[in-house]
Amino acid sequence: MTLTDVLKKDLIKIPVVAQTKIAVIEELVDVLVASKNQINREELLSAILSREALGSTGLADGIAIPHAKTTTVDSIAVVVGITEKPIDFDAQDGKGSQFFFLVVAPEKEASAHIEVLASIARATSSGAFRRLLAASRTAEEVMELFLE
Amino acid sequence: MKEPYTNILVYLDGSEDSVTAAMAAIVLAKRLGATLTAVYVVNTRALQDLVKARIFLDIEEQEYRRDIEGDAQRYLNHVERLGIQKGVKVIPVKTSGTVHTEVRNYLQDHHMDLLVLGGISEIHSRRDELLSETDRMMRTAPCPVLVVRDSDMVWDMFESLPDAS
Repeated sequence: MTLTDVLKKDLIKIPVVAQTKIAVIEELVDVLVASKNQINREELLSAILSREALGSTGLADGIAIPHAKTTTVDSIAVVVGITEKPIDFDAQDGKGSQFFFLVVAPEKEASAHIEVLASIARATSSGAFRRLLAASRTAEEVMELFLE
Repeated sequence: MKEPYTNILVYLDGSEDSVTAAMAAIVLAKRLGATLTAVYVVNTRALQDLVKARIFLDIEEQEYRRDIEGDAQRYLNHVERLGIQKGVKVIPVKTSGTVHTEVRNYLQDHHMDLLVLGGISEIHSRRDELLSETDRMMRTAPCPVLVVRDSDMVWDMFESLPDAS
């Protein structure tokens, strides 16, 4: 399984308007909750924040991948968000984060969860790809970029 | 006349499609009198990539590795039971590493003459084409590859095969 297997236009938020780490996570969680009515928002948020408490998922080069296993989803979901400007996400390179991939998976789908995370890491490792991502203004443009 | 396939390997990855492929492989093995091996590869390469990219903490890597190894054992046990139901001995193999490399090496080292796969995932992008493990497995296998697609037909075939007495 790869990111493109689970990428959905209605789960892409541009721009993310929140300006703090917690608020960005909440905004992305709300996108997912709005798309699937059986999800328990608090449970999902708690799972993501518990993982974040162990160490920031803000990586280098503006990428952040908050993620968690949770029983409140029945399949893997990815919410993509892009802020207009980098925000402080406690990233490992000390710089701001601008591209967010919230990844949640049910506990029984560990293999697929790992594959999706790895496919995000591979896709975003290219500087050229990140520049194109930064230039994207709509969910359609982001979809096209990943499906190219 | 020698049967065309005597050593069949089915690849399991925890998906429904791979279990369907295993059912097709059991039917084939029974009809041909072939030996059937089921392989599940714990994708430690992807896990290591996630730690290297600092997406996973060490504690997460250990937790997910345990989860995947548990999944692997459950799926292998399930396919073994399906084999027993139809009187086919399934040899379960759990290995770890880079998925397509492990499968190719096993096929070569154990002189397998047919690889059975389920669920070749849909290719959405050029990147997917380059990185899909099942796609690479299919392209690098040193033996013929059977891709099982029609799950209803496979279920019918499996159900119509008499149970072991």
